[in-house]
Amino acid sequence: MNNQEILIELKNLTKKFGHFYAVKSVSLEIKRGEIVGFLGPNGAGKTTTMKMIANLLTPNAGEIWIRSNGEIQKLTRKNRDVLLDNIGFLIEIPAFYGKVTPKEILKYFAKLKGYPRQKLNERIDTVLKMVGLLEWKDKKIGTFSKGMKQKIGIVSAIIHDPDIIILDEPQTGLDPTARKEVRDFILNLKKMGKTVFLSSHLLYEISEVADRIAIIHHGQLIAFDTLDNLEERAKKSVIHFELLNPPNNYIDEFIEKLKKIIIPLTGIAEEQSWIKFDNDTKIFQVFFNGNPKNQTEILKILLNKGYEILEFSVPKAGLLENLFIELTRTNKTGGDFK
Amino acid sequence: MTLESEQIKTDIIEIENKKFGLKRDISQIINTINFESRRFFKNFILIILIFLGIFIISLIVQELQYAQDVPLPNDPIEYINSYLGMFGFMVILSAAGFAGSIIAEDFHRQTGNLIFPKISKFKLLIGRLISRYSFNAICVSFYYILIGSITFIKYEEIPIELWGSMGWAFLYTFMIFTFITFMSSIMKSTAISIIVSVLFLLIVFNMISSILLFTGVRIEPLYILTYYEGIIRYSMAMPKPRYTEINIPTGPSGDNGEMQTTTFLQWITPSEIVAFIGMLIYSILFITLAYFLYRRRQSKNV
Repeated sequence: MNNQEILIELKNLTKKFGHFYAVKSVSLEIKRGEIVGFLGPNGAGKTTTMKMIANLLTPNAGEIWIRSNGEIQKLTRKNRDVLLDNIGFLIEIPAFYGKVTPKEILKYFAKLKGYPRQKLNERIDTVLKMVGLLEWKDKKIGTFSKGMKQKIGIVSAIIHDPDIIILDEPQTGLDPTARKEVRDFILNLKKMGKTVFLSSHLLYEISEVADRIAIIHHGQLIAFDTLDNLEERAKKSVIHFELLNPPNNYIDEFIEKLKKIIIPLTGIAEEQSWIKFDNDTKIFQVFFNGNPKNQTEILKILLNKGYEILEFSVPKAGLLENLFIELTRTNKTGGDFK
Repeated sequence: MTLESEQIKTDIIEIENKKFGLKRDISQIINTINFESRRFFKNFILIILIFLGIFIISLIVQELQYAQDVPLPNDPIEYINSYLGMFGFMVILSAAGFAGSIIAEDFHRQTGNLIFPKISKFKLLIGRLISRYSFNAICVSFYYILIGSITFIKYEEIPIELWGSMGWAFLYTFMIFTFITFMSSIMKSTAISIIVSVLFLLIVFNMISSILLFTGVRIEPLYILTYYEGIIRYSMAMPKPRYTEINIPTGPSGDNGEMQTTTFLQWITPSEIVAFIGMLIYSILFITLAYFLYRRRQSKNV
């Protein structure tokens, strides 16, 4: 199996609604076995792009190429059944017919995709086991929680055992535990040799699983690279730290005090620097140049000043967030980007 | 043989086993029919019970009449007709129950996001039409079997015309079914499509019919869908002429003291050939429109 083999290639893909460009000349390729994160704020064009791959929307311009049976072919009306059989889709939040059971709906979907009948029951059990819902297979989906429905949505995308899985915002609306389960599931898919194209507006969810990240904004692809390379491009980052006894009453004064000792070590001009405090998580954030040396200096000074530090880290999402802000600086509206 | 070539061989075998083209289309339609049949089985039972209930009520009314010394009609067709008084309403009710959600539900509940990447809208619609209309037709057959049975008990024969009437009932049900399918393609939700369809079929069309009657329009109201219901009853004994004349006083009396009256035509039923062509044209028109609206809706919303 060749890991450099391209499974999906988008060439100048464009979709217009009236005069509005939902997707403008997007080109990217997805290679076998990798997880490609498709990142962008709400309304950036992620779902539209995925719907074009699913043949639910017709592009105004551009081409979609998909590998099937060893050969990469341009998606057309004639060959769409053959090509799309190799892909499993989860588009937006899945909704189900409430009165059916997971077993019934998965059986129907698998049959639609031509999965061998004799292996159907075994396959349904396998995929439900993967998401911990095996004992729920004969219960009505109408009684399921949102997270359970989301899991059924994800397994409905993989029930016919496709090589490529396209997941559109699979973690939206889920609680942290369910989000982690979905994240682990996506990583498991990679281990199974599947290729995943995953969209989200949640930076953290993408940065934790993706090998390469494509950033889309206002319908245009503004970056597409590995996380390491994107970090390199960002060159700036955010330190997260938590104190054992954070001051609760005079936080503004405390931040001013921190600024005096930390900002000279951030490697960033004073007017661009900032320190924030999140009241909910009790975490301080320090914007710095991303250099590990500066990171160490900041830690040292905090310890020298006698602060008791519980946690001190640089989350990957922070780097990505900075890059995104930098890349979209010319656009005043950043959208709902978390 | 290397692992890689074995993998390729396995892939090829799997692809060979998969159906493509027409075979695949038929297979997907059959799978949809099976899935939809399972999904709508409870609705089917409910509608069967409603039909049974209406039959029992009609039977009780008939028996009460005979208990009061009203004689049994000599002609079994007349007896059969007494059970078809509410049939138009029953058809509308059952068709709304089966077809009201046929298109609207995937947009209203967003289930389309899950299903449309797996099957084309055309095949999904065909599969749903077949399964749900089959249920509807079985309900109609069930009602006719009940009528046939009671007629046999009473008259020791079942007039052949009853089965002709059942054929018309199938066609009329199909036309109403396609009309509701069309409404389902333009309405936002299942509930709205059912309510609006029933309003149109039970009230709006009847209002139009009444207005036209009293405005003196004499042409046959072939543009009113519920008018075609008449063929179900009157195909068994076609009236001649197919309309009744109603004389209604419309002005002051003249010199001779007589009231001025105007004659209005009330159409009872279309002729058999007109009913057949009319219902067929409407059915095709509604299905075609519903499909194109469905496709258009796909490109906008899902």
